[in-house]
Amino acid sequence: MGRIVLENVTKKFGDLEVIPPLNLTIEDGEFVVFVGPSGCGKSTLLRLIAGLEEVTSGRILIDGEDVTNIPPSKRGLAMVFQTYALYPHMSVRKNIAFPLRMAGMNEAEQNTRIEAAATALNLTDYLDRKPGQLSGGQRQRVAIGRAIVRDPTAFLFDEPLSNLDAALRVGMRLEISEMHKKLKTTMIYVTHDQVEAMTMADKIVVLQSGRVEQVGSPLDLYREPRNAFVAGFIGSPKMNFIDGEKAGTLGAHTIGVRPEHVQICPKGEGDVWQGKVGVAEHLGSDTFIHVHGIDGCDPMTVRAGGEVKINHGDTVYLSAQMDQIHKFDSEGHRVS
Amino acid sequence: MSKRKLARLLQTPAVLLLLVWMLVPLSMTLYFSFIRYVLNNLRRPEWTTPALSNWRGFGNYEFVLDAKDFWFAVQNSLFIVGSILFLTVTLGVLIAILINRAFPGRGIVRVLLISPFFVMPAVNAVLWINMILDPVLGLQGIAIGGINDLITLLKDAPLVGWFFSLWPTLEPISFRATQTSAYAVIIMVTWQWTPFAVLIFMTSLQSEDQQQKEAAVLDGAGAWSQFRFLTLPHLGRPIAIVVMIQAIFHLSLYAEIEIVSRGNGNKNLPYLIGEFANNNIGAASATGIFAVILANIVAIFLLRMIGKTLMD
Repeated sequence: MGRIVLENVTKKFGDLEVIPPLNLTIEDGEFVVFVGPSGCGKSTLLRLIAGLEEVTSGRILIDGEDVTNIPPSKRGLAMVFQTYALYPHMSVRKNIAFPLRMAGMNEAEQNTRIEAAATALNLTDYLDRKPGQLSGGQRQRVAIGRAIVRDPTAFLFDEPLSNLDAALRVGMRLEISEMHKKLKTTMIYVTHDQVEAMTMADKIVVLQSGRVEQVGSPLDLYREPRNAFVAGFIGSPKMNFIDGEKAGTLGAHTIGVRPEHVQICPKGEGDVWQGKVGVAEHLGSDTFIHVHGIDGCDPMTVRAGGEVKINHGDTVYLSAQMDQIHKFDSEGHRVS
Repeated sequence: MSKRKLARLLQTPAVLLLLVWMLVPLSMTLYFSFIRYVLNNLRRPEWTTPALSNWRGFGNYEFVLDAKDFWFAVQNSLFIVGSILFLTVTLGVLIAILINRAFPGRGIVRVLLISPFFVMPAVNAVLWINMILDPVLGLQGIAIGGINDLITLLKDAPLVGWFFSLWPTLEPISFRATQTSAYAVIIMVTWQWTPFAVLIFMTSLQSEDQQQKEAAVLDGAGAWSQFRFLTLPHLGRPIAIVVMIQAIFHLSLYAEIEIVSRGNGNKNLPYLIGEFANNNIGAASATGIFAVILANIVAIFLLRMIGKTLMD
């Protein structure tokens, strides 16, 4: 079990309110991702749940039990840190054994659990090495191993992949997802990377300055962002926002359309905008074209096929799928 | 000329300088330790100039080994160095951890803590033995006198008087005496060198990874386990450095021993060398070679021990 409930949780550092009253429910077995720009309070929120920071007011419940004033070690949570936080003087085996040793578990049971974790994480050959002799990915695995052996009620991940290179990050992302499918334990994952959020989460919590902007499944957030902030944060490349006359005709202050919902079309065949190509990024599978000179949106990003022939300075005509246009009022809220 | 050769060539002056610097005194000591060489001998004036014709073989070494104070000096050297190391490292770690946290006036406390290190060894010894440890005029004498006066007063008090009349009169310890002079040296050198340990451990503590500590907190480690499994191993290397440097310095203690008791009941190898060097340079040199061997044994032994216990 691992149902975590936050009730009116706030956090202040001195006079600075980092988390205004916040309510959130994380169901048992869910993979929840906290995502937001840096400084949005997502790590603080995770540390509040872990107990590494004290809440200023409000309650935290784990499986119905109030843990607000319970020390971190008694909450049954395991955390994986961005810098791995391995104990540098201990071998991998001792690192993984540390929480078990602290719990006073007997040697035989410890060994069974360590072997199981090491096998699951491909660490069997490295058990007698020191963390300093391992690569970044292996260190991250050890950190995860140290979390798994404790058999926690929930895993907390604090930007665990930020220190890895791009290729490894994709691999580890898959491994963590698979681990979740296998263990079915609640996981809370903090990241600033919306791709990680979209690919891994059952439920995404978008945060901005400590406030929850929207909670929902990745596709809900993609299809129906509640406001312009969420719309801009979820999706890559970023949504195009157009204000001014064009938006006014649709009855909105600002309209948003994702690059994948804008097409290049021949002149006169339903074109809405006209502009000059700035930079075209050829990725092979796709081409992202940045179009300049469009009223109320400069530049507009367009996603086109990989083989499209387009050059700097070309004039292009663009149309949009009208049913995929998001409308927002002057405060950025969604208008349906 | 290849790049490598050029690099070697350019290094040569520095390497030569270091070699000369180290090898010349060592070889002179070795040479003197194998010849008869005294500063003053009316019957054998030829011994007063160092020469190969005065060759004595291992005679000086045998003479030193048979001298009545030699084994006592070796033992006492180890006892003094060992005690000082144990005390400075223990106190150093504890004080460094204590002042590692932020508190008002931390800057001043740090400066005060470091200050004993700037006192000259001879001044340190004079201060301690005369002003603090002196059984009559020092703080020790005054404190014990005060306690005795208080007990005498309480003996006449109603109700509790019978209890205090069972107490003996306390005697101040004379630290210049044969039995206690080594302790006086240990106390004063520990006072002087603890700041050095504190300084090094403090800088090392500031580089300790805070996320590791948080991870340990979540893993269920209490304050003691965090200290034992994270802080102490983190301090392993600085402790090795402190032990190594202090071992070298304290094996050659001299001023404190001279001032406390003039070697009475408390000699170490350097003091013995000093005594021999009053006349018998050959024996002094042989003792010097023994001191070099002892220093090496101590260094290797200590480093091994620290490496084993802390680095795992």
